[in-house]
Amino acid sequence: MSVGKSCLLLQFTDKRFQPVHDLTIGVEFGARMITIDGKQIKLQIWDTAGQEAFRSITRSYYRGAAGALLVYDITRRETFNHLTTWLEDARQHSNSNMVIMLIGNKSDLDSRREVKKEEGEAFAREHGLVFMETSARTAANVEEAFINTAKEIYEKIQEGVFDINNEANGIKIGQQHSPTNPSLPGQSQGGQTGGGCC
Amino acid sequence: MFRSRSWFGGWAGKPKNRLSLDHLKYLHNVLERNQTVSENNRGLLVESLRCIAEILIWGDQNDSTVFDFFLEKNMLSYFLHIMRQKSGGSSFVCVQLLQTLNILFENIRNETSLYYLLSNNHVNSIIVHKFDFSDEDVMGYYILFLKTLSLKLNTHTIHFFYNEHTNDFPLYTEAIKFFNHPESMVRIAVRTISLNVYKVENRSMLQFIRDKTAAPYFSNLVWFIGKHILELDTCVRNDTDHQSQNRLSNLVAEHLDHLHYLNDILCLDIKDLNAVLTEHLLHKLFIPLYIFSLTPAPPLLSMALVTKNLAAVLNKVVEIDIQEINNPRVSGVVALFLLSLVFLVITHGPLVHSLAWVILNADHNVFKDGAAEVLNAYIEKREVVALGFGQPQESLEEALEISATNSNSSSSQSNEPSSAQAVSCEEATSDDSQHQVNITDEEKEKLKNSLSTTSESNRPFLDMVLSSMDCNENDYLALLALCLIYALANNKGVSSEWLEQILNKRSTSSALYKTMLIEKLLQIVNLSSQPTCRIRLITLELTIKLFCQMIQLNSAECCLLDTHHNAIFSARNQSMTVLRNFYKSEDIFLDLFEDEYNEFIKSSLNVEFLCMDSTILLPPTGTPLTGIGFTRRLPCGEVEKARRAIRVFFHLRQLCQSVTYDEETSLPLTNPTKCVQIDNVLDLNNSDLIACTVILKDGTKFRRFLVIDVLQLILVEPDSKRLGWGIAKLVGFLQDVEVLGDKDDSRCLHITVHRGGATTNRNPILSAKFVFDDHIRCMAAKQRLTKGRTKARQKKMYQIAQLLEIPGQVTDGALPTYANSLRTGRTPRPLFTTINRVPGFAAALRRDSMPSGSVSRSQMTASRGTEKTRPTTASRESSKSRSNTPKSRDGSPRMPRPRSEEIPLEDFRHSRQSSPASRNSSNAPSRSHTPSRLANEPLSLPKETTPSADGASTESKTLDQNSKETSFIAHKMKGNVETV
Repeated sequence: MSVGKSCLLLQFTDKRFQPVHDLTIGVEFGARMITIDGKQIKLQIWDTAGQEAFRSITRSYYRGAAGALLVYDITRRETFNHLTTWLEDARQHSNSNMVIMLIGNKSDLDSRREVKKEEGEAFAREHGLVFMETSARTAANVEEAFINTAKEIYEKIQEGVFDINNEANGIKIGQQHSPTNPSLPGQSQGGQTGGGCC
Repeated sequence: MFRSRSWFGGWAGKPKNRLSLDHLKYLHNVLERNQTVSENNRGLLVESLRCIAEILIWGDQNDSTVFDFFLEKNMLSYFLHIMRQKSGGSSFVCVQLLQTLNILFENIRNETSLYYLLSNNHVNSIIVHKFDFSDEDVMGYYILFLKTLSLKLNTHTIHFFYNEHTNDFPLYTEAIKFFNHPESMVRIAVRTISLNVYKVENRSMLQFIRDKTAAPYFSNLVWFIGKHILELDTCVRNDTDHQSQNRLSNLVAEHLDHLHYLNDILCLDIKDLNAVLTEHLLHKLFIPLYIFSLTPAPPLLSMALVTKNLAAVLNKVVEIDIQEINNPRVSGVVALFLLSLVFLVITHGPLVHSLAWVILNADHNVFKDGAAEVLNAYIEKREVVALGFGQPQESLEEALEISATNSNSSSSQSNEPSSAQAVSCEEATSDDSQHQVNITDEEKEKLKNSLSTTSESNRPFLDMVLSSMDCNENDYLALLALCLIYALANNKGVSSEWLEQILNKRSTSSALYKTMLIEKLLQIVNLSSQPTCRIRLITLELTIKLFCQMIQLNSAECCLLDTHHNAIFSARNQSMTVLRNFYKSEDIFLDLFEDEYNEFIKSSLNVEFLCMDSTILLPPTGTPLTGIGFTRRLPCGEVEKARRAIRVFFHLRQLCQSVTYDEETSLPLTNPTKCVQIDNVLDLNNSDLIACTVILKDGTKFRRFLVIDVLQLILVEPDSKRLGWGIAKLVGFLQDVEVLGDKDDSRCLHITVHRGGATTNRNPILSAKFVFDDHIRCMAAKQRLTKGRTKARQKKMYQIAQLLEIPGQVTDGALPTYANSLRTGRTPRPLFTTINRVPGFAAALRRDSMPSGSVSRSQMTASRGTEKTRPTTASRESSKSRSNTPKSRDGSPRMPRPRSEEIPLEDFRHSRQSSPASRNSSNAPSRSHTPSRLANEPLSLPKETTPSADGASTESKTLDQNSKETSFIAHKMKGNVETV
């Protein structure tokens, strides 16, 4: 059981996979072009699953990214309770400018909800994150979640917070024109396991 | 579904149900008919491949016949067939193929399905296929494919990937070829894959890894890390002006990633692998690059001498190799920093022990022989790796190829060409390996001598580290040397006994190394206390930490000498002298003092975090414009100089107290446990109460009574249970109160109660309009608030004067003066009297105030108390407090209280604390029963002892719920209900 981050990722990067009731599919890497402010931007999204056993891997993932999505499952409180640990980890290892978005996934399963939307909002407010509830199954807010994260990164680039000549930030300038290319590791927030999907 | 229909346009026979065996059969048909990829059918193929992934996952979860069909038709072979075609190899199709495979392997839950998929060798064929890796999407999906597979590895599945007979393990060998791919996410995936592979407990696979790949992979990895280090070094050398901090911090973080990766490998504890890795790290990187760079000049002479001797022994003419000059070097600062990082991160015994041995015990001959001796003790089957930092002759790919072709010859032979041939000292290596026995004996003898002899010995590296600690000019090198020693002394892999033994050897100046080290530390402490020193606070903090560790404070073997004792006390006195110059020089001195104290208590030094900060690699600077934190740079401007002086004083005061096992009794200036807390029930009989209406910004009103204590402003509401008592609804410190009259209404005051110190919460505790019954009461309130503020501040300034022993403030004996000050600092009329105090009063009150808490500051104090309390003192203190408690309880009525009408709130609270459940031992005994203590420390204010370790801290935690930091708003709700 995971929180559904790889499903979110597939949902965002590959529209052809339509969510169907008796099929849940996820993938741990994807890329997609989006347009912000008239500029073509390519997002690369990496799922961090399978890294938990090794400290070096956790460290590196955080550092290589311009933004991260911290995902929990609204139907399982323990995934919400783990957020603090994940966030601490992320803050400790990442570039301090990394954009972090908090995602409460599986919003379609409202009947089994264990974490109130207000709680997610409060957590986000307390830690200065942007918050959103999504559903990989109904595709609700999936676009918004990734695109808003990308927008925030884009704004930071405009403000000069990110050094775009430094690829260690997870951003690089494309060959043609100047599309930037932030990698976003979808933050593993697996509760027990980082592997499997949904 | 509509969409997929549109894809398939006019094709007949397409099943209605997208997720069904029929659909898969149909797609099989599509693949069958489109074996050749062309421009025209590309789109169709891609969509088919995508649908296959969906159907297979659906089948895995719902219908096993789907998988049977897939295997029966050997559909994976179509995949291979497609990707091997030129036009099929286009990234458009390949990306889809790889995505389908990823989806397959990531989402499959059924183990047998997985085994079937892996059972023919197709997956390995896909792995070795040369995709177009210049396309970043292909690269991403490909490396993820390998990572996904590596996550499926276990003792059962390993046989599908590693072929014992052909000695073939494409999953691993293909992955590591990307170990220095420019894309960081790819490098991370490679590391994950390699670690996942090493984790599998399979003997023959690990044997293969070690024999065929370890030497090439590790030598290339080490070379890659080394090159990165040289880049880092260049960055440091060229950035004396802190211009490219960003880049530097990335380089440091990247290097830390490497170290953690190496440590993760070593921690898997695979003996053979660790031996190879250790050898490479030591002999290709740590010794030739790091250690070599420690000593300033290339030790050409000694090197030549050794080579000559060797030549004589061998009866052979050996040309003196001056490779050392060509050996790249890094600056001393970088070398110290890098070595610190090694000891902070890596814990593998043989590696860190050998490295420590070289630093502490070796001389330049080590460049000849490396850490061979030490390593021999740990590692069987050592393969000698020549010393020297140089590029491996073959690239990793070539090397892997060679070992693959040589796979029939014995393992060690096939290994030799790739590993032992270092560019820099090839010749020496061959000599080495031929005559290893001789050298080893000689070395053994030498080692024995050096270990047994107490006479002077030559330890250039240790000498260098110690001399780096000279801070006469600045503490640039010193901080890094301290980090190194700290990291070395705290590494699990370095035996502390052995370290002790080494440090107890004599140096050339015939002093013990340990003595020298402690002297150096004391020098830093002493220098820090000087008015114009160039030592950063962090350096002082680390020095103190290391000093306490070196003298083994708090243990039976504590070796604090009188000279040490005197040195630190004189340093503290010096710091007091410095601080006296700042006393009152700034208006906000008191705020600075209290703020710095909070910071001081909060900060706890973590050397690992410190060494993640790349700015310590750059020359110390004073300007905050660099973004460097206050403790990690020099002070800038008068205010910061004052702050620094305050902080130094706190550090040294604490050090003095810890060596004498004294408890802090005078800091913080306000003892939070003695303050009134929200919800405390107070006896207000005979105290001054001013009725007022508090109107908040949003218009909410409360009826309250204003009480002005020595230190606090308290808003109370009457206690419904007891006449004359009140419940505190809001408390704030008078020193933080701001009062403004209202020009339109003479009965009004605008009062703002700020939060003391630099908290993250910038909202004041209260900002409201107070309306009094008439203008006289209003004026009275204003006057008392203003005076109260001044007096509260004066009182604290006086306390600081006491701490600093400022002449003129300290008259004969501290105690009476303090009492006097209390009298003057007190409000003229009593708030609370003790007249109506009855037995059990304190206990009852205690119960009432139970739910209320102390401020978080008290928690800090408590935890600090715990931390500071040493085993010996703890027992002493606790027994003391135990014996004191009953005494003080029945002692409280007969406490010297000649001015009963003047007993302020303080005493009333004090009695509360002397109840049995009290968190502190009463101060009464210390005031009246321990004159010896006063004689010893006439200057400390005998207010109250800090919480003793036992119980106090836990209690304070449970209490800490309703602190004064609870916002007034929160209480407003409650207050509304109660007042209505």
